Amino acid sequence: MLQQYAGIGAMLIIAIVFPIIVIAISSIVRPKKAAKYKYETYECGLETQGETWVQFKTNYFMYALVFVAFDVETVFLYPWAVKFMSLGTFAFIEMFIFIAILVIGFWYAWKEGALEWN
Amino acid sequence: MNIDYSLLTIEMLTAGLALGLLVLSLVVPGDQRKGFGYLTAAGLAIIFAISFAFNGVNKEIIGGMYLIDDFGNFFKQLALVAGVLVALASIPYVEKLESYRGEYYSLLVFATLGMVVMVGAGDLISLYLGLELMTITFFVLTAFKRGDSKSAEAGIKYVLLGAMSSAILLYGLSMLYGVAKTTVISELVSTIQAGQISPALILGLMFLVGGFGFKISAVPFHMWSPDVYEGAPTPVTSYLAVGSKAAAFAAFVRIFMGGMPQIQEIWIALFAGLSALSMIIGNLIAIPQTNIKRMLAFSGVAQAGYILTGMVAGTNAGIKGLAFYLMIYVFATIGAFTVAIGFSNATGSDEIKDMAGLSQRNPLMAAVMLVCLLSMAGIPPLAGFAGKLFLFSAIVAQGKLWLALVGLIMSMVSVYYYLSVAKSMYMGEAADPSPIEIPGSLKLVLIVSMVVTIFLGIYPAPLTGLAEAAASVFALK
Repeated sequence: MLQQYAGIGAMLIIAIVFPIIVIAISSIVRPKKAAKYKYETYECGLETQGETWVQFKTNYFMYALVFVAFDVETVFLYPWAVKFMSLGTFAFIEMFIFIAILVIGFWYAWKEGALEWN
Repeated sequence: MNIDYSLLTIEMLTAGLALGLLVLSLVVPGDQRKGFGYLTAAGLAIIFAISFAFNGVNKEIIGGMYLIDDFGNFFKQLALVAGVLVALASIPYVEKLESYRGEYYSLLVFATLGMVVMVGAGDLISLYLGLELMTITFFVLTAFKRGDSKSAEAGIKYVLLGAMSSAILLYGLSMLYGVAKTTVISELVSTIQAGQISPALILGLMFLVGGFGFKISAVPFHMWSPDVYEGAPTPVTSYLAVGSKAAAFAAFVRIFMGGMPQIQEIWIALFAGLSALSMIIGNLIAIPQTNIKRMLAFSGVAQAGYILTGMVAGTNAGIKGLAFYLMIYVFATIGAFTVAIGFSNATGSDEIKDMAGLSQRNPLMAAVMLVCLLSMAGIPPLAGFAGKLFLFSAIVAQGKLWLALVGLIMSMVSVYYYLSVAKSMYMGEAADPSPIEIPGSLKLVLIVSMVVTIFLGIYPAPLTGLAEAAASVFALK
């Protein structure tokens, strides 16, 4: 019994100590060469424009939500498409219902103007 | 793997109704969206009627992931009947909304679907799926009053705290899975042995109790409920108070009574503590409340304490009392909240002192409020008395006399604040004695909740039969 508690305690200690060690080692080992570009705002491949502290439109989250719905759809569509021939008619109907539900959601988002940028 | 889809009729119909309402609100132009409330109530009522065909069916689907049994069916009926009443009670509120009328009812039905899935779940994963469907829908419904800062505050509070409780619950479930190596609840009986209780299991159980304790608003996980209850639209509050609570209790019974009766002594101690704390703190803090919704929120905390005694008993009699009490709690709570809806609809106030003289302004509302509050206090011959009798006799039979005594004393305390509302309604002088008119749908809800509360108090046999059948699913003492 006590040993098992010790196990949990050991895990807790490791979980706390490990990230500290990693950060400490990397700060010791890494080369510290200051360069002009290092202090620029990170943007993947593009020249940055303007300040970093710009305000984003909250409309972005709508796109993210709609995107997630379709992303999840794809996750289910791929295995279904691969195994389509052996799954038969029933799986076809099932997938049809699944997509229909998603389409209702998309229809709703469209109608409510989630895809319009203004 | 062959699945008998006819067993899932209730779930599929509920999902179909929710999607149908959404499509309907898309095709019907905004200014012509009327009668959605009646449509929702009628749809849910039909599903409720169909659910009686499943009484006595005991089957499992997909290797025990989903169960169709009397226990699940009892709570599905509870969710559906509460859904019907809430849909009717929402009508005057939704009529005042400028937009999103159809969506409101669609979300309401989705919340019902979440409860239905949750109480039928035989697996930790399907249970969590139902829970999240219900909770996320409630997040939206809580913040439904657009432009109202209290509703927004309630929504944000509920999202943040709800997300945290979900995380804790999920962590607990993962620990349970780590110990038991299965997510099927019925298999927990054989994989968790009484002799080998590991610390991880105890930690998992505590997280589980914390996660669901949030939903039933038991002390010390109750802090969210008064603020959320006060800020949310009142029909949503009433559904939150009964549906969310009942579904979480059903999950408690499924996991603890169904999955871990062999390690009863551990979780019974936990529940006994929670129950006593909820009864004492809920009732004491309810006394100084001046807002009817906050008062009902704290009374709901206390009620959660009473209902938890059913878990403390750990027997079939306890489950029977728990199921019975939750069902009558639906009618008493929705009745009381519907009076609050009608009152604030007419006067714009939720304060108890403004209810003074309500008996002259609208005798029906005052009478329903009185009956519902007295039923919650457990005064005979109302249904709440029968419910408390079943609950407390179940724990006394297990030798937990002290808890029954706490329950009795705190019930007496609760009579004080329930009656002070009644005193204000019947003895008080109204500042504005003009009569209050309420719409027909509210009248229907009020009359149904009053009649059921009185009828089940005098003649509880029909409901005890159903509750007994629900409890018999579990093979306990």
